[in-house]
Amino acid sequence: MSELADQSATDTGVAMQLKAQFGTDCLFQPTVDGIPTFWVSKDRLLPVMSFLKNQIKRPYPLLLDLSAIDERLREHREGQPDADFTAFYHLMSLERNEDVRIKVALSDADNRLPSLTPVWQSANWYEREAFDMFGIVFDDHPNLRRILTPPLWEGHPLRKEHPARATEMDPFKMTPEFQQAQQEDLRFVPEEWGMNREAKHTDFMFLNLGPNHPSVHGVFRVALQLDGEVVIDAVPDIGYHHRAAEKMGERQSWHTFIPYTDRIDYLGGVMNNLPYVMAIEQMAGIEVPPRAQVIRIMLAELFRISSHLIFYGTFVQDVGQMSPVFYMFADRERLFSIIEAITGGRMHPSWFRIGGVCQDLPAGWDAMVRDFIDYMPKRLAEYERMSMQNSILKRRTIGIGQYDTAEALDWGVTGPGLRATGCDWDLRKKRPYGGYDQFEFDVPIAHNGDCYDRCRVRVDEIHESLRIVRQCLDNMPGGDYKALHPQTTPPPKERTMEDIETLIQHFLNVSWGPVIPPSECTMAIEATKGINSYYLISDGGTMSYRTRIRTPSFPHLQMIPLISNGFLIADLIAILASIDFVMADVDR
Amino acid sequence: MRWRLIKTEPDASMKQVDDAFNEDLADSVLVTKLQDLVAWSRAHSIWPFNFGLSCCYVEMATAITPRHDIARFGSEIMRATPRQADLLIVTGTVFRKMGPVLQHLYDQLLAPRWVISMGSCSNSGGMYDVYSVVQGVDKFLPVDVYVPGCPPRPEALLQGLILLQEAVEKDRRPLAWVVDETGGAERIAKPNQRDLRTPERMAVTQLAQPTTVGDAPLSGELLSSTRSDRREK
Ligand code: SF4
Repeated sequence: MSELADQSATDTGVAMQLKAQFGTDCLFQPTVDGIPTFWVSKDRLLPVMSFLKNQIKRPYPLLLDLSAIDERLREHREGQPDADFTAFYHLMSLERNEDVRIKVALSDADNRLPSLTPVWQSANWYEREAFDMFGIVFDDHPNLRRILTPPLWEGHPLRKEHPARATEMDPFKMTPEFQQAQQEDLRFVPEEWGMNREAKHTDFMFLNLGPNHPSVHGVFRVALQLDGEVVIDAVPDIGYHHRAAEKMGERQSWHTFIPYTDRIDYLGGVMNNLPYVMAIEQMAGIEVPPRAQVIRIMLAELFRISSHLIFYGTFVQDVGQMSPVFYMFADRERLFSIIEAITGGRMHPSWFRIGGVCQDLPAGWDAMVRDFIDYMPKRLAEYERMSMQNSILKRRTIGIGQYDTAEALDWGVTGPGLRATGCDWDLRKKRPYGGYDQFEFDVPIAHNGDCYDRCRVRVDEIHESLRIVRQCLDNMPGGDYKALHPQTTPPPKERTMEDIETLIQHFLNVSWGPVIPPSECTMAIEATKGINSYYLISDGGTMSYRTRIRTPSFPHLQMIPLISNGFLIADLIAILASIDFVMADVDR
Repeated sequence: MRWRLIKTEPDASMKQVDDAFNEDLADSVLVTKLQDLVAWSRAHSIWPFNFGLSCCYVEMATAITPRHDIARFGSEIMRATPRQADLLIVTGTVFRKMGPVLQHLYDQLLAPRWVISMGSCSNSGGMYDVYSVVQGVDKFLPVDVYVPGCPPRPEALLQGLILLQEAVEKDRRPLAWVVDETGGAERIAKPNQRDLRTPERMAVTQLAQPTTVGDAPLSGELLSSTRSDRREK
């Protein structure tokens, strides 16, 4: 194994550098996504991570993902060290344009790990999630407590022995005692978070904002420590929207999980399908025909526009402009009439398939799309005057909630929030996936990293997306809308009547679903809100063994205290709006 | 509601004056029973509580915006506090962690109060038969109208609202100074809409083809044509 490691990892460079620093025992694991993956021992974890972040030449400043795998029922682990659980860390280097994955084997009896928080502060929530979901204990974590499930929950949901279905568990009953106990447990106790109730000259007030509040954009709660109207500290509290998508991935077939992906970032529509189906295509070795690629890009960009429009409208509404949101929803309705004509759905079309898309474009789609992209720029110009140039809006948002590129990376911020700090990191440009290399577009950036700039970047992105859609429209290739590969879902029906092989494939694919060879693959895309990635592990079955969904909004919310402390509550509302999160994208 | 115009019995000699008078009267006075009037006003000013759980909330918000314009039905006044609202629209997935909070909010709604369950998740758990989701909000709250869909279209929500209004309009609330904790409102009847609508649905023989885009007007056409052109069309 280790020879293999040396061979295939030398050209990545990082293997050599790790070896030079730590000796030979970083075991290499080949994966289909080509991301160098190394196993390190528990006691080496912190030195290795801090080396990769701080000392190595051309470092890895972004902790993209951190979670775990329950390995106890997995059959295909050839070449991997024995483990009941595996913790994995996914790092990204902008300078190298490369990723690295570090894995640590854990046993059920001793599932303790050193906390990564001294190296990356953003590890805090990820470790709490791994604790909540798997029961892995992180030593020296500042506040290791449940994050997604209610505080009184029993068990760790992503362990294989935890029931997946609600109908396997006792029916939910709302007794007054239960309600009382749960509510009591949600009470915010400042001392638990290391906060004082008073300072020398003032008594602090603690304000609970959410989980149902008109300006928190969903079921999100943040507890505020206030001195008058000034936010001294904030504690975001999430998990009210935990829909267990990752557990769901372990019981839906590869194909039937697609609708669940739509509902992750529920404003992103088919954009969510993309990383998931692309990861499977990579594992199964499916080539997607050009027409399908362009259709996918066109729809994904239309949804980017739709999502950014909602952001735009609600953002300016939250700082006090009532009208624009109505205009923008009207535009969104126009956009949805196209989505509806093409896919039949509105918010959740679930329209991409493994190997292509669901059906071919309907006759007349091009007139509708052209009509929309001709109409939209005029509207945007109007909104520009109405909102972006509005002096009140500017005063409310410029210089508010500012951070720089280094802070952004340290906290795992990606997407427009990162690009507003002057860093042009956009996966569509840097790692053109799914055919983006064929398109001409710019990556809008801004430099102040404040609320205004985050909005600026998104508005400019709408223009770029319109540009991409126009190119799709003008250059839509002919040909198939899905691959002819046997694993494509649903398989091409026409051919079943011609040869028995296809008929058998069709039957198996429809009744059981495709069988994906044992492998691991991460696919990351530039979604509407930042980097969205799916890390899929197949154990050679019709279902995924582990589905890890990395969503951009999760780390973004974690950063709230950093960027809002010292501002007024009203500014906090602007900051929340400028982050552009949806709770399903946070809690999954 | 039942209402009638005032019928005066004028003197024949007064007839001519009265005709004009009656016309004015017809425009401005109506006579009805107080409880009918109350029921009618109540049905047409149901104020929803601004409450969202999940994806369905976005479609509910869409129902407020211009194309759907929930204001046509008197329900555009979204209240940020349950104490000022009549209607709780449970929009989306009812999470176990959110359940107790939802119950708390419901308890603060003043009677008479109604609940619309919007979307499959809230109706039954929908596609989320999973450990963190309550299998339908009716496990702990009384539901008046169920709106199916994942998410339901804004039009479907409006239809649900109209069904609720029709039921509320039929409800006669005792008009006393003191009301009991139901606020005098009866639980509304919930006839099975599927059964009611099946004949009409079965009568449809031609469905739109998925291979064409249908005949929705393009925005370019809409913007260039005047309102009267469109009406003529
Ligand atoms: S019913 Fe569908 S759209 Fe509505 S909240 Fe549930 S998953 Fe989302």
